Amino acid sequence: MFKRSILFLLSLLLVAGVFVPVISAQENVTITVLNYMDLTAPGTERTLKEVWYAFDEQHPNITVLREDLYLDAFHNKVEAYAAADKLPDVVYMWPGGRSTTLHTKGLVKDLRPLLGDEAQYYHEYATVDQAGGFLALIPSTRTSSHAMFVNVALLDELGLEVPETYEELAAMAPVLQAKGLDTVLMGAQDDWVLQSCLFSMLAGRFVGDEKFDEIKAGQAKFTDPEFMAALEFYAQLYADGVLSPKIMNTGYGEVKSLFAAGHAPFLIDGDWAAGNFVTDESTGEALISPEDQKQIKMMVFPAIPGELHANSSSGTLGVGYGMSANIPDGSAKEAAAWELIKWLSGPVVQGISLETTGTLPSRNDVGFADVEPILEERIFNFYNLIEADTYILDDFFEADVFMPINIGLQEIGLGLATPAEVAEATQEAFDIWFAGQ
Amino acid sequence: MENNKIKKSDFHPFIRFFVFLVVGIFTILTLYPLFWLALSSLKTTTEFMKNSMGWPLNPTLQNYPAAWERAQFTNLFINSLFFTVISTLAIIFLALMAGFAFAKIQSKATPFLHGSFIMGILLTLQSIMVPLFLAVNLVGLYNTRLGVLIPYVGMGLPIAIYLCTEYIRSIPDSVVDSARIDGASYFRIFLNIIVPMAKPVAVTLAILNVAGTWNEFMLINILVSSDALRTLPVGILKFTGTLVTDYGRMFAALNIGLIPMLIFYLLFRKQITKGVAAGAVKG
Amino acid sequence: MKKTMFWSEKRRAYLLLVFPAVLIYWAVMAFPTIFSFVLSLTDYNGGPIFVRQAFSFVGFTNYLRMFQDKFFWISLKNNVFIMGISVFGQIPLGFLFAYVLHRKLVKFGDFVQTIVYLPSVISTIVIGRLWQLFFSPYGPLVTFMQKFKPGWYFSLANDPQLAIIPVLFVILWMYTGTYLIIFLANLQKIDPALIEAARIDGATEWQVLTKVILPALSGVIVTASILAISGSLKSFDLIYALTAGNPARRTSVLALYMYDYAFKHSPKYGLANAIAVVMVLLSLVLIGVVKITEGKFGGKE
Repeated sequence: MFKRSILFLLSLLLVAGVFVPVISAQENVTITVLNYMDLTAPGTERTLKEVWYAFDEQHPNITVLREDLYLDAFHNKVEAYAAADKLPDVVYMWPGGRSTTLHTKGLVKDLRPLLGDEAQYYHEYATVDQAGGFLALIPSTRTSSHAMFVNVALLDELGLEVPETYEELAAMAPVLQAKGLDTVLMGAQDDWVLQSCLFSMLAGRFVGDEKFDEIKAGQAKFTDPEFMAALEFYAQLYADGVLSPKIMNTGYGEVKSLFAAGHAPFLIDGDWAAGNFVTDESTGEALISPEDQKQIKMMVFPAIPGELHANSSSGTLGVGYGMSANIPDGSAKEAAAWELIKWLSGPVVQGISLETTGTLPSRNDVGFADVEPILEERIFNFYNLIEADTYILDDFFEADVFMPINIGLQEIGLGLATPAEVAEATQEAFDIWFAGQ
Repeated sequence: MENNKIKKSDFHPFIRFFVFLVVGIFTILTLYPLFWLALSSLKTTTEFMKNSMGWPLNPTLQNYPAAWERAQFTNLFINSLFFTVISTLAIIFLALMAGFAFAKIQSKATPFLHGSFIMGILLTLQSIMVPLFLAVNLVGLYNTRLGVLIPYVGMGLPIAIYLCTEYIRSIPDSVVDSARIDGASYFRIFLNIIVPMAKPVAVTLAILNVAGTWNEFMLINILVSSDALRTLPVGILKFTGTLVTDYGRMFAALNIGLIPMLIFYLLFRKQITKGVAAGAVKG
Repeated sequence: MKKTMFWSEKRRAYLLLVFPAVLIYWAVMAFPTIFSFVLSLTDYNGGPIFVRQAFSFVGFTNYLRMFQDKFFWISLKNNVFIMGISVFGQIPLGFLFAYVLHRKLVKFGDFVQTIVYLPSVISTIVIGRLWQLFFSPYGPLVTFMQKFKPGWYFSLANDPQLAIIPVLFVILWMYTGTYLIIFLANLQKIDPALIEAARIDGATEWQVLTKVILPALSGVIVTASILAISGSLKSFDLIYALTAGNPARRTSVLALYMYDYAFKHSPKYGLANAIAVVMVLLSLVLIGVVKITEGKFGGKE
């Protein structure tokens, strides 16, 4: 009995041994993917069906094992994978700050050799080397981390006009307050929001990229008048009642619906927030109905006295997918992973992304159908308003430097610190970081 | 037990008032948010935004199937049940065994071994997450049920062993000694005397562990990659991220996470009383 | 001869009883613990760790850096507050409820027990999200209050000195039930005849409470304190979901402070693990204090 089962096991192994090479000859490849996905976003169902399931159907020989994570769960997992050097074959990543480990520790491949001639279909910015000095991902879009959404209908109702200068905006604050409304909403409980969606733009207006290059090289300081002016203007926003300390208790997820419900005529967020207002096909519901979306305008912060650039905004490259450096060059797995990445950054997927969230494609051959009014506003009006792109601080500096800025901005808003103190604390943190380089 | 009731006049009216006040406040503070949560799940996102406080004008249950389907809750639910039940049983049994040995069998190893468990009470999950991931990978248990269960049990043991040891220590030595004189082995004593007497502490452990494991969401994300092994909180977390725009489904998901624990508690409450009562008779 | 046999059965039983728990516990905790301590002495900042030059040893630099950071002290202060509300809030309140229920001082005892206990079985994500929405400047609390006082605004959450108060309140609300159950279980262990005898001797309810019940529960109170202290030093989930440590990190706690360094942006495991080591040392000291206090004041059961 015992002998027989041993024999049986042996023959099973033998059969398996014979068949395994046959299977790989047919090039059946399994690739693992670490994906970033917000299940509640409108368009999720469509993305699953037309992006992921469609790829499975078109490539019966490639099995995609997808792991969907979101927010912190995603970032924690990336760090764990990185520590064990077991990165999945294809991984969602950011071009800068948030994927530092992947870029700088050589965990992902240079995609340039694989990209080859395909590069001609991409806008120039999409194929520039990233933080690690190579092409780790192909950004599928460009985004502006600052956008000011305006509820025009609400302004009309109150007899107010869309402001063109900061003075006009500040003058509205008392009027709105008397009506029990706020002026500008922000979901600034998460501390990156003030820096990314508002202050980076202000820093661009007052400091400018050239000066930041000098600061990073150690030739200028955060305590110089330009950076101080940006912080002082930011503090002024609270003094003028344009911002309220309430924003620090408003969740980032909560704020879109507060804006949709008309708690204030302005929302400062990233341009991507436009995608949160559109109709979810699976429920037929929208935070702002397509009809009402026509009354929503997207603009950049109005003109500020003493600014260097008018109508500038802070911009960065969008996200994309990288390939694990552990995949051997020229292997079937590499081919399969590249097939997937090519699809994910290709014209069809970029078109879907445009139609569901209004992202600006990084390819020049993307076709798309009609979109809802707010996405139209984003694609056709908003991007034309931006006259200059400036750095996003959490993209340009490392965490050691931008974390004190993030916290400092909240401290100023709460009256815990003066602009001068925050500038000094930032410079101090920078000096420590600089010494370590 | 029947005569526990005391005359009202025994307590100063002020104390009685204070007690009622505290009980009353707690009741409102618990019922109101839960009530709000339940009501909100019956509203569509559009309605919630316009009417976040009031009674739902067009109550609908559509959020539940929608949330359930999108997060594949059936599967998550079964996994939660599996991990919770197995790990809780394992923790209770292993902790009783070790606690009995620590408390009633003299050994020079006890201070060291018991001390090592006490250290474990103090470790934070966040500090060992990455090394735990490395360890689980090294032994090839990544993305397996066992690879989740063993860490869950290991992490639950310290506090369980501390409580069991303390509890079994409070059982008079004479109980064990007289059984020893009658010739019973330690295993017989453990199974026939200690386990039946340990019901109260077992119930306490069950309370601590069931709630803890059922709600655990950080470790499971690190230790598995496949949706087939994930648990309920992971699904709920997907609806409570910072970009939530879908209030209807979010509230439904929150309720889906809450209701099983409510049911568990209502079912288990009798057991608590029973377990505790059994302990009381013998202790 | 008989004596050695007896001893060896004893030893074998001890080993067999202890072995499974020790094996699993050491397998899960020992490696990460040692690893955590070693990393606290390095400059490891993410990436493959089992390769050469993944990190170098920097001595106690991380510890020094931590002690110089004001946010370490802010987080520690908040942990102390949480510990305070746990030991001096949850435990007395839990005991009060248990006592009231045990002596059947209120009607609907089962209902009250359920209400108090309920929050502690609900997922911390649910609780955190629930109260975050509840305390939101546009949430139910503010809307409700504005009905009575237009323009009312929940300033507490924005006062950096006081922002921790709503958090403490939620913690008190959430965990009191656990202690209620622990005390209730142990109250029922006290022999009713003991109380009866004291009553017959003419003791008032207050005397019964202080002379009979509290001394009998002193061991349980110590256990509860240890649970509360270790729990409050580790508290993470709830604050993570409720405020994420903000505004301006003024509601942060040590575990969250550590998490920020370990996982946010570019990881700094060295620093993060230094924080973890300090947290363990702190709890050891505090638990030592509890044990000494117990030795001084409490007679055991």
